[in-house]
Amino acid sequence: MEDIPDDASWKDWFERHGPKLLLCARQWTRSLADAEDVVQEAFVRFWRRQRQLGGAPLALLITSVRRAAVDLARRNARRGAREERAEGGMENTEPIFETPLEGDDRRQAIESALRQLPAEQREVLVLKIWGELTFEQIAAQLDIPPNTAASRYRYALAALREILTAADCHG
Amino acid sequence: MDDEFNELEAELKRLRPVAGSPVLAARVEQVLGAPMPRRSYWTWAALPFAAALAGVVLLKENRALPVPVTVPATARVTATYKPVSAENILYDHRDEGLVTLADGTTARRYLSSYVDTITWKNPRTQASLRWSVPRTEERVVPVSFQ
Repeated sequence: MEDIPDDASWKDWFERHGPKLLLCARQWTRSLADAEDVVQEAFVRFWRRQRQLGGAPLALLITSVRRAAVDLARRNARRGAREERAEGGMENTEPIFETPLEGDDRRQAIESALRQLPAEQREVLVLKIWGELTFEQIAAQLDIPPNTAASRYRYALAALREILTAADCHG
Repeated sequence: MDDEFNELEAELKRLRPVAGSPVLAARVEQVLGAPMPRRSYWTWAALPFAAALAGVVLLKENRALPVPVTVPATARVTATYKPVSAENILYDHRDEGLVTLADGTTARRYLSSYVDTITWKNPRTQASLRWSVPRTEERVVPVSFQ
């Protein structure tokens, strides 16, 4: 994980990591609009106050995103954080990934499979693959043991493969 | 992770999450492009000077215009510049946790930080003046335990 130089441009950083942050935020919010609000709040807070802190910047940013998402849920006096997460911004029909030059059917199949995963498995998968966090960092984020994070990740991959294989057979 | 999942992991890593809407980037730019707000006493102490400076800028510009000397300065300012937008951007919100009020009530304390920006424009010259003020709002909400 890279350090952030003092003269780094926030635009470069936002362009590079913003999509990953948004995907993480969508695990903990009810809609894409809420996820964007959360990313804005977290990124501004990080860039102004936290980027000089030690540690992995992306992990720090994801922590900030999660905190902002929990704050948003509390502010809006909606349902409990766990239920919020289960509803998730991933449940809507907004695309999750950019359309590749080839194999858009495959992207759609993966998105559909991701949406079918239990939220607790999907969030671990997202944090590991696109958030680039270690199991220890994921465990700290979610307040679970690292072994549980690793197990959820493995279950998620197994379930994903099963869903995709079934889709291939039927499709 | 097991070799059996290597191929699937590699495929997933190749997928790039969608970027946020252009509005998101614009909102971030608006906040990070604004002057860094400070929360100290000195910020508020500096406000009268900022207001005075804004007045001087307005009066200087008006000096070049053929306005009657009998018109008060404040009237000239309002006649020349018109407010065209007022917005406030929330850039930080924190839950400060539970506090106990003087009467013993338990409450939750929230701090919200904003940048309020007001823009005036001279419709004749198209000159504009923007005034950004940092503001911190504290809310204390009583809570009850059941």
